[in-house]
Amino acid sequence: MIPRTVDAPRTHGSPAADPATPAVLLSGVTRVFGVAPAVVRVGLRVERGETLLLRGPNGAGKSTLLRIVATALSPTYGSGSVLGFDLLRDRDEIRRRCELLGHRTRLYEDLTARENLRFVCTLYGLDPSRVGPALERAGLADAADDRVSGYSQGMRQRVAVARALLRRPELLLLDEPYAGLDEEAKEVVDDAVRDAGAEGRTVILATHDPGRGDMAGRTLLMDGGRLVPAGSASS
Amino acid sequence: MNLLRQSVAMAAKDLRIELRGRYALSAILPFAGTLLIVFGLSLGPGRTLLQETAPGLLWLAVLFASVLAFRRAYEAEGEDGALEGLLLAPMDKAAVFLGKAAAVAAQLLALEVAVITLVVGLFDLSLGGAPFVLAGAFVLGTVGLAAVGSLFGVLAESPRAREAIFPLLVLPLATPVLVAGVKATSLATTGRGGQAGGWLGLLVAFDLVFLAAGTLVYPYLLED
Repeated sequence: MIPRTVDAPRTHGSPAADPATPAVLLSGVTRVFGVAPAVVRVGLRVERGETLLLRGPNGAGKSTLLRIVATALSPTYGSGSVLGFDLLRDRDEIRRRCELLGHRTRLYEDLTARENLRFVCTLYGLDPSRVGPALERAGLADAADDRVSGYSQGMRQRVAVARALLRRPELLLLDEPYAGLDEEAKEVVDDAVRDAGAEGRTVILATHDPGRGDMAGRTLLMDGGRLVPAGSASS
Repeated sequence: MNLLRQSVAMAAKDLRIELRGRYALSAILPFAGTLLIVFGLSLGPGRTLLQETAPGLLWLAVLFASVLAFRRAYEAEGEDGALEGLLLAPMDKAAVFLGKAAAVAAQLLALEVAVITLVVGLFDLSLGGAPFVLAGAFVLGTVGLAAVGSLFGVLAESPRAREAIFPLLVLPLATPVLVAGVKATSLATTGRGGQAGGWLGLLVAFDLVFLAAGTLVYPYLLED
């Protein structure tokens, strides 16, 4: 019987406090949905404080890879650590320090933006007084008490950005964060990425938007579920 | 303490969503009412037969209403990936189970008051015999239904299993609640409430088993 994961290194013992531990360290990570592999034997090392840009065509596996790093998905094979914590065994430690901003905004339609963020505060044990400034910074101060069901896609994405601002995670994972946003809202995302970088936090940004990502220190391409050398992706 | 705080937050969030969406009022209550009226008409005008079958029809209406209530409770989590947000929060995942169970139990108890009123009017059912036994049966039965629904509702969020799997899982498992609830209600409404102790005990045991199992198992159901 093939084990679900192999060679998972033990990384217990407060390794997150060690600045030499990479923010993300993956080895041979593969994820299969049914019989279709979405991510194939990916090895990745991202240093702490680094801003990494991930590019690639639709279906390249970028979203799956980010979801694996965020512990929303388990790798079918392979091993890794995030902020020094084991990807499989220390999920709660990783989740406490990591924020995934993905295609779906994870908001409740019948709650207001403020209520959505206050709920997040309860789940994460955060001070609810952070909600107001986060919404203001995302440009939603005037609409904070309106129900999300009346928001445009761009406004919803701003609330999701406000959630990321609220938490100030050590590792920020952004999966196509510019989709559906106007230029002003894109600047809000860019500011969040720049601020995270300036504060020494790690960012992995996956985007198609060719005009974005200039703040990244390194760019990687993904195609067919694999990380490929720059310039060889199919689109 | 965290578990309690997070469970209360989950329940409050679900109840707020329900109060704003008014799904129970606009869909579940009319459904339960229609079910009772249709069954009542199909049984004919015989007063004795209606009174004898009323406890069973009442609990059937509550059972089907609970299926709708849980589908709705989990739909709100699936609409924009909110369930993944709960998965990624560093919280005790049992709080999701307990919070959802509490919120739906509160909705069902409110619904039961309306449904019982309807049954009393339609089927001329007497409630005076043993009101505490009757109340105990409904509270305990509702807690049991809420525990089963909250536990298996998360499985119905799987994209392929979505519509069919939830009632297929929940209805057979809820059979002990249905049987014990009908028996206890029947005894309470015919002035024999003193004989309902065994059925109430079965409901207590069911509640304890499913609340404990849900608290332990739910985190694994939520994970990938």
